Amino acid sequence: MKQIVGVADMKVSNNSEESVITYSLGSCIGLVVYDPAVKVGGMLHYMLPESSIDKEKAAARPFMFADTGIPMLFKTVYQLGAVKARIKIYVAGGAEILDQKGFFNIGKRNYMALKKMFFKNNVIIHKQDVGGNTNRTVRLEIGTGDIYVKTSGEKEVKI
Amino acid sequence: MTSLQHLLEEVRNLKPIPAVANQLLEVVDNPDSSMEDIANVIQYDPVMTANILRTCNSAYFGLKHPAESITDAVNLLGTDQVIELVLLKSGAGTFSGRQEGYGLEEGEMWRYAVSSAVIAKQIAIRMKLENKNTIFTAALVKDIGKIILEKYVARGGRKIQDLVKKENLSFREAEKKALGIDHAELGAMIAKMWKFSPKMVKIIRHHHLADETMIKDKEVAVVYLADCITMMIGVGVGSDGLSYRFRDETIRELGLTADDVSLIIADFADNMQEIENLLRIV
Repeated sequence: MKQIVGVADMKVSNNSEESVITYSLGSCIGLVVYDPAVKVGGMLHYMLPESSIDKEKAAARPFMFADTGIPMLFKTVYQLGAVKARIKIYVAGGAEILDQKGFFNIGKRNYMALKKMFFKNNVIIHKQDVGGNTNRTVRLEIGTGDIYVKTSGEKEVKI
Repeated sequence: MTSLQHLLEEVRNLKPIPAVANQLLEVVDNPDSSMEDIANVIQYDPVMTANILRTCNSAYFGLKHPAESITDAVNLLGTDQVIELVLLKSGAGTFSGRQEGYGLEEGEMWRYAVSSAVIAKQIAIRMKLENKNTIFTAALVKDIGKIILEKYVARGGRKIQDLVKKENLSFREAEKKALGIDHAELGAMIAKMWKFSPKMVKIIRHHHLADETMIKDKEVAVVYLADCITMMIGVGVGSDGLSYRFRDETIRELGLTADDVSLIIADFADNMQEIENLLRIV
């Protein structure tokens, strides 16, 4: 079974038969969390760093933004028995167009928003594949916690 | 035969986009055109008419009374919706295939095209531009050159990727250097051969802003920005990835800000489901 995480979406699972996958991360970020002890995992696909830009949208679609989506991902996996100290974290995406500078660089801003939140909350990233000019598809196997990344035209690689 | 001659031969053999799309564009962006003028253009193409009526009467639109003519469809769904359906149906056949050279599976290029057309239209509406249908269509078909060029890109794959990685060229610049022509130039040649309007040819030719002075052209700038935003969102992006040049002056030139760009991205998320539905019914 495949659980598909759409754009501005989140899925969690504790079903060892399942994969959680998100397609085509450009400047968006795919945040994967996994607790190997209870085999609980989840994935968030957010598009933008701050919800302050459109509060109404953030209320309707909290997974669109880093600051509203990330806490919800953690809370949801905690409800399934995941424990913060055991959680492994993987980050992918945040790509940029060539010469995309400063405030226009949404990929980098998306990543910085996450880093800032993690720093404040003592969360460490286990592995990451961020930046650059490629788009990425990310898949998490709930049974094993294995994570695979694929870029267009290339084969899926386990990381 | 040289490879350029091969290329031209392939352009000639490419099945063109239905003429009704072109005729429709001439009518719709003329402020003096009436709903009747629009219906007449579509009715002239019986295959398209049948096709549109079938879609309009599909469960998706949930019409209480079936549309029996294009005039009915326009009355029931609105002119913009019917025009959009004709344009989408015109492009679907050409863009749906697999594009190996760009690492795209079947349907992915079409998904990208439709997404960037919807974004371009969103920007045009935000900016209150009048010819939003031309902008929608230009964004929809701007990558037409890729359909021919993809085989050549596939053959020169490593070389092009190396130019991108080692010489910091954009993918378009690398195409030009490795193959002597890029997909925007080739796209403009195809558009010309298909008798698209000079305006459409121009937008396709410049949709990556190879010539920076084209920033001043509002329609070019909107289609360019929509392309960048679609790349950032990532839907249907191929192995060329985000390896194109971003020119933030475009945003200022259009009178927009970085926050506007974020808002356009946020709006797009709301339109995603609609796009998926359109892809299904078209």
